[in-house]
Amino acid sequence: MVKEIESTGLPIVHMCTVVPISLTVGANRIVPTVAIPHPLGNPALSQEDEKELRRKLVRKALMALETEVDGQTVFDQ
Amino acid sequence: MRLEIGNINIKDVQLGNETKVEKGVLYVNQEELAKVTGDDERIASVEVYLAKPGEETRIIPVKDVIEPRVKVSGSGGIFPGFISKVDTVGEGRTHVLKGAAVVTTGKIVGFQEGIIDMSGPGAEYTPFSKTLNIVVKVDPIDGLHQHEHEAVVRLAGFRAAAYIGEAGRNVEPDDVQVYETKPLLEQAAEYPNLPKVAYVYMLQTQGLLHDTYVYGVDAKRIIPTLIYPTEVMDGAIVSGNCVSACDKNPTYVHQNSPVIHDLYELHGKEINFIGCVITNENVTLADKERSSNMTAKLVELIGAEAVIISEEGFGNPDADLVMNCRKIEKKGIKTVLITDEYAGQDGASQSLADSTPEGDAVVTAGNANEVITLPPMKTVIGYPEVADVIAGGSAGSLKEDGSITAEIQVITGATNELGFNYLTAKGL
Repeated sequence: MVKEIESTGLPIVHMCTVVPISLTVGANRIVPTVAIPHPLGNPALSQEDEKELRRKLVRKALMALETEVDGQTVFDQ
Repeated sequence: MRLEIGNINIKDVQLGNETKVEKGVLYVNQEELAKVTGDDERIASVEVYLAKPGEETRIIPVKDVIEPRVKVSGSGGIFPGFISKVDTVGEGRTHVLKGAAVVTTGKIVGFQEGIIDMSGPGAEYTPFSKTLNIVVKVDPIDGLHQHEHEAVVRLAGFRAAAYIGEAGRNVEPDDVQVYETKPLLEQAAEYPNLPKVAYVYMLQTQGLLHDTYVYGVDAKRIIPTLIYPTEVMDGAIVSGNCVSACDKNPTYVHQNSPVIHDLYELHGKEINFIGCVITNENVTLADKERSSNMTAKLVELIGAEAVIISEEGFGNPDADLVMNCRKIEKKGIKTVLITDEYAGQDGASQSLADSTPEGDAVVTAGNANEVITLPPMKTVIGYPEVADVIAGGSAGSLKEDGSITAEIQVITGATNELGFNYLTAKGL
């Protein structure tokens, strides 16, 4: 889906846990997430901390969307 | 470590007044077995059934299959960390009631449980249509949390298998097989001219009812480690898995891993089988990276020149398989991978979730998405309605006449990734 949408000219950020699979399938902007059962959350955190975690991930994804890339890039900073 | 496996060939199983083996017939005292199996306050009821090859019987949902065994000499006991203390197993002598199996069923724990048909087309897909099955239907008390329910049924199965296995303690086995792996340096020196081959044994540990245990430890909490292959054969690894029935390793398969048996078969003839590394399949990238790094390092450390890597389950564990392959190959060590495929019902889709050019020697155990119709059976042990919810089934899988149309994913062991299955392919 990442590749199909991108082929129409829309930039795409793939948020996923298993980055190597994303690299294999050819995503260009990759934001690593938390864990396979809960990519954008963490049930071990308090509700407040989890909200902050989610906010950070979404912000990072938006930042990745705005970033010019030259080939496959993992936003893991 | 040197382990003797004494096989007591069981030709028939019958209910009787005493649990014993006599002239190849296993007699089971139904009441005693139910009492031992149900010895847990979280269990509401236990029912015992027999299911024999050729009968028109279906068992659904199948949670685990366990081989009844008894440790007659050497350290440790059956299922260390669960039934016995955690003493190291893998040496001495273990008696096996060969041909018999304990099958656990009951109210469904997780949605990924299986089906065993004792006859008909489904029987050709499961190795457990050929075993004499003692089925224990274990139902828990109300209100039990799902994870506790899993533990309850898992332990009940082990108690049942240990109780039945005890009947083989003083029986002279029909044959005794000896398996031995020496301490590493000694083992490496024994056959200096043969290629040193190791086995990387991936264990399903995704959590959410997808768990495997090593000496009682949840394997998602281990870092990869070395284990004597005879420890595996002797019950050190057990299943706590409700992952798709076709390609999980029931405890019986861990006890009888064909990969380990075949490596021993070639040991000293074509290869020097130097050891086994167990690793896990966890759900965070850091875990996957750490475990595959450790696995590659251990394989290098023991001096392997080639390894066989087997996967358990599918989906994100494909990424672990590929990482293990790539990192081991990068060290100049050859790999052969064993997996299965989810290539769609027409077989035309991508088979694995991940791939690598280094994975150039791969054995497949079959396409789990193939569709099959299982005809109605005279007897159904368990709860047939779960056919609509188990992985590989869908709403409407169970027809009014009792037949089931679903993917072979629903059949216990259909595409087992240790090769403990019957699917084969022929070139045209």
